[in-house]
Amino acid sequence: MVKQAIHWLLRLRNHAANPVLRQQCEAWRIAHHDHELAWQRVQSLHSELTSSLRAVPGARTALDTLETSAQRLGRRQALKLLSGIAVVGCAAWLGKDLGWQPWSADFVTATGERRGFQLPDGTRLELNTNSAADLDYTASQRLITLTRGEIMLTCGRDPRRPLLVKSRHGLFEGLEGRFVVRQDHDCTRLSVTSGHVAIRSHVGSDGAPIQVEAGQSYLISASTATLAPPLDMDAGAWADGLIVTRNMRLEDFLNEVGRYRRGYLKCAAPIADLRLSGVFRLEDTDKLLAVLPHTLPVQIHYRTRWWITVERTA
Amino acid sequence: MSSPQFAVQALYSSHHGWLHTWLRNRLGNAADAADLAQDTFVRLLQRTERLELKAPRAFLRTIAQGLVIDHWRRAEIERAYLETIAHLPEAQTPGAEAQALILELLEAIARMLEGLKPKVRKAFLLAQCEGLTYKQIAEQMGISLRSVERYVADALYHCYVLRYED
Repeated sequence: MVKQAIHWLLRLRNHAANPVLRQQCEAWRIAHHDHELAWQRVQSLHSELTSSLRAVPGARTALDTLETSAQRLGRRQALKLLSGIAVVGCAAWLGKDLGWQPWSADFVTATGERRGFQLPDGTRLELNTNSAADLDYTASQRLITLTRGEIMLTCGRDPRRPLLVKSRHGLFEGLEGRFVVRQDHDCTRLSVTSGHVAIRSHVGSDGAPIQVEAGQSYLISASTATLAPPLDMDAGAWADGLIVTRNMRLEDFLNEVGRYRRGYLKCAAPIADLRLSGVFRLEDTDKLLAVLPHTLPVQIHYRTRWWITVERTA
Repeated sequence: MSSPQFAVQALYSSHHGWLHTWLRNRLGNAADAADLAQDTFVRLLQRTERLELKAPRAFLRTIAQGLVIDHWRRAEIERAYLETIAHLPEAQTPGAEAQALILELLEAIARMLEGLKPKVRKAFLLAQCEGLTYKQIAEQMGISLRSVERYVADALYHCYVLRYED
């Protein structure tokens, strides 16, 4: 019945000049005392909403503010549910300080965990195992600080604000496309999957700014930024739950797999240089390891579930 | 002290510290946590039902959770509002008092619209704020006219329920 009242209200508003409609509405209202009550309520609710919204000065101000804040609020709540960790927010209260406050949030993954997040501007952020990133979106910039581990970004468009990624070793600007930033102890590796990324913190050997193109990787230390030789492993496959290797040394491969596992995973020195190429699923690293003896002359020794050495086949 | 006040006092001594920590984890800073912890207990005092609490922390958490959502809503509205008017010249920017009133208004509206699906909310706001015809809204959102009609009606119904059936 309330829905009927709403139906009539909206019809009349949209076809105001139609006298037949008006009569029909009147008839409905008179038909029952409850109809009239519903009508009055819906009317007053509607005009209240309308006048409130009109009271906000500025074209589009109310619309933009309400839409934007509702979207962000939705994402904030979703993040809290997804990650179960605190979403750190800085907020200026109504009545306290009307100065600008940025929204910063911590994204964290545990060992073996991978998560993806949609950021407020449409950028997609994926965190690999054991990683942590801070988000600092303000009116003038979109800054993501990689504090630990590895992230992949798919750039969202915002012509007013550059998309910046900071690691311990450098600062990068995602111009377009998709790229991976991996922070190791002594250097950061920037790999561009598609599009272009500019390195803002370092210049090339010729003094010119560095733009990294699809398929390229750069190794960035505090002082230098150098083009990396072709990688023995696909830089972004982890986002699809895979390790894709090209003639990769076994020792390096196990170190890589070890990032997704607890415990100890090493190979004996003599077989460290064995090479392997292939596609491996990260979903179940126990299975992944169990498959190795099929492709290489190795044996997996489980001292305990979490202490694994890889030896040459006897 | 009357009996309800006494009960609240007891709750306060036992649980205030815990609540403050819980809030601090959600809000990220101690000052806001302190404010909201206070507000939670003030709310408790305002409740008229008897405080026979078998699970006091769950109860406190429920109240606090509502306050946290309000807090975030207010913060996001303020942020979005400031962004939206950022481009206005000095002369056209409302003064601090006017801004405070506008933000209150926007917050009240946002509360009413909470829970609406994004498309429903958008269609409704386009109709109410921009005064677009349903046909124009349909075009802008890339949906059918019927959908627009349905969304606007749904939004109004949602607000009605919030207002009159509580």
